[in-house]
Amino acid sequence: MPGGGRCPDCGSAELVEDAHYSQSQLVCSDCGCVVTEGVLTTTFSDEVNLREVAYSRSTGENEQVSRSQQRGLRRVRDLCRVLQLPSTFEDTAVAYYQKAYQHPGIRAARVQKKEVLVGCCVLITCRQHNWPLTMGTICTLLYADLDMFSGTYMQIVKLLGLDVPSLCLADLVKTYCSSFKLFQASPSMPAKFMEDKEKMLSRTLQLVELADETWLVTGRHPLPVITAAAFLAWQSLQPSARLTCSLARFCKLANVDLPYPASSRLQELLAVLLRMAEQLAWLQVLKLDKRSVVKHISDLLQHRHTLIRKAFREGPSGVEAPAEELWGRGQGQEEVGNGSSDLPKGKRPASPALLLPPCMLKPPKRVCPTPPASTVTGDEDISDSEIEQYLRTPQEVRDFQRAQAAKRAATSSPNPP
Amino acid sequence: MTPGIPIFSPMMPYGTGLTPQPIQNTNSLSILEEQQRQQQQQQQQQQQQQQQAAAVTTVTAAVQQSTSQQAPQGASGQTPQLFHSQTLTTTAPLPGTTPLYPSPMTPMTPITPATPASESSGIVPQLQNIVSTVNLGCKLDLKTIALRARNAEYNPKRFAAVIMRIREPRTTALIFSSGKMVCTGAKSEEQSRLAARKYARVVQKLGFPAKFLDFKIQNMVGSCDVKFPIRLEGLVLTHQQFSSYEPELFPGLIYRMIKPRIVLLIFVSGKVVLTGAKVRAEIYEAFENIYPILKGFRKTT
Repeated sequence: MPGGGRCPDCGSAELVEDAHYSQSQLVCSDCGCVVTEGVLTTTFSDEVNLREVAYSRSTGENEQVSRSQQRGLRRVRDLCRVLQLPSTFEDTAVAYYQKAYQHPGIRAARVQKKEVLVGCCVLITCRQHNWPLTMGTICTLLYADLDMFSGTYMQIVKLLGLDVPSLCLADLVKTYCSSFKLFQASPSMPAKFMEDKEKMLSRTLQLVELADETWLVTGRHPLPVITAAAFLAWQSLQPSARLTCSLARFCKLANVDLPYPASSRLQELLAVLLRMAEQLAWLQVLKLDKRSVVKHISDLLQHRHTLIRKAFREGPSGVEAPAEELWGRGQGQEEVGNGSSDLPKGKRPASPALLLPPCMLKPPKRVCPTPPASTVTGDEDISDSEIEQYLRTPQEVRDFQRAQAAKRAATSSPNPP
Repeated sequence: MTPGIPIFSPMMPYGTGLTPQPIQNTNSLSILEEQQRQQQQQQQQQQQQQQQAAAVTTVTAAVQQSTSQQAPQGASGQTPQLFHSQTLTTTAPLPGTTPLYPSPMTPMTPITPATPASESSGIVPQLQNIVSTVNLGCKLDLKTIALRARNAEYNPKRFAAVIMRIREPRTTALIFSSGKMVCTGAKSEEQSRLAARKYARVVQKLGFPAKFLDFKIQNMVGSCDVKFPIRLEGLVLTHQQFSSYEPELFPGLIYRMIKPRIVLLIFVSGKVVLTGAKVRAEIYEAFENIYPILKGFRKTT
């Protein structure tokens, strides 16, 4: 804007403030003569408003999607495609990832955690749509360990305040059993092991329901129970040919990993079936054991509701003789069954066992005595002798120091003379 | 598009197979499918209740509503007086009301303790661990302490504090060079205080001008047994906003109670662990709140 000065060349008063890049200049608008120019360089104190700010302290990261977030979103989409999820799941999972990324704790987390976060978002999406996906599958796909996954999962559910429904057992049974390779003949598998998918699915489902009703599923990982149930279902559909096949061999045939607890779940399930068999009139005389009961699973499942009611009873509110209650839950069920009965064993069905989770049926490992009521007030006098027992004598201190010095000398010279 | 991750890996710890396609429901309705439908119905019900609850205007109205709905249903027991859940952002606390906020989602127990509906459980949780801190008020030389005390261990590469133990009361203390100390393992508040005083006396006898400032109980852990099995799946359905039950990760249900602010670990065997309390009364109160809920899940059918 025209100041008070005049151009030395042409004498015009039209002087304009114009900057040539970063240099401020006063220029005559008529002839273009540069009247004065500013300093090209600035001092540190001059630049107080132009100083560089670290990216993390600027608002830049809120305005654009950072490269690691882009990578994470791409991983989410990739994971959804590998699992062949519907496209709506992809959008939901991506939205969860973006929402999670807005929290500073997640933004500054390590790469491993962000990788696991990808899996958590996909898992939450699947759970909310009742799509049965286990954490084990996701951990395998992401090469993550379950501890890291569980920590991140619990954190993100709390952070985003989400309601994640439980894993749907029925759907999990269907998808897991469908992944067994038993439904088509193959050169490695004899024909007698091949099975019809629908029959096996329905029987496995019934066995898993039975396990659920008899407290074998609560608090446990669902997959080993399903594996054990599928094995029993498969065996019972053609017992003559399949009784000799073990659980491990079955899993190998089906091309499925054998989860470690599956064998103990199998034993528990067989024990429940044996108890139920004791209530069926035509099976009592057969004196079944764990192998022979498999042949009768179809009968047992057909009448399972009645049999469970007859074979098991609730806690102390049971209809049975109160004398049996006095035996207490700590004792084995066999004793309760054989207690105070005048009739010979074969003629009378065993008394109902308690329907309890296996952890309550086992005798306690050690009896914890209730600690005596302590009369400590917290303000008692503390005797000197009691404290002195915790202090080293001067002799001990000297010995200790000598020992430490000797150790240091030994470690510092690795080749003693 | 094939992503870069290899599809077949040797180890599948309880993985289900890579292409879980949920199959349409067959005609035979199994119990599990019924539970699933129940879960969906529950969610719809809760949404409806949410909308209804947004119309609640006074606390007294809510109390009257709840007392009329009080008959405990089969599967869901009574709920304690709890703050409204995190998922509800529409209901704001009403000004000028009593400190008790109604829980709009579920029926509420009356505020006064002497009610015919809720009776005392008769079970008292046992305290298992108390964590307390105290300030000894002077800088400490940890090397000297580790040298001259018999019951001390000090490994600066692993942890920057001396770990000291005494036999009576059986406790462990972490002593830091700033003079602050953490005392753990006592079974009662008084024992924790006595133990902390003993540690301070040991440090005094080692030649430091230790004082006993700002003794504070930071955490109390209690446990008890309700002696009947609990259907954790049912509990997580009805108390979704407070419970977290992931059998794939942990066998117990984690219940985060809002009032009092206590975390409970509930197991299928009926054992309950309560933690996060600053005073003993919070543990007792939390257990009295949870007991009627657990009783509601006692019957299996």
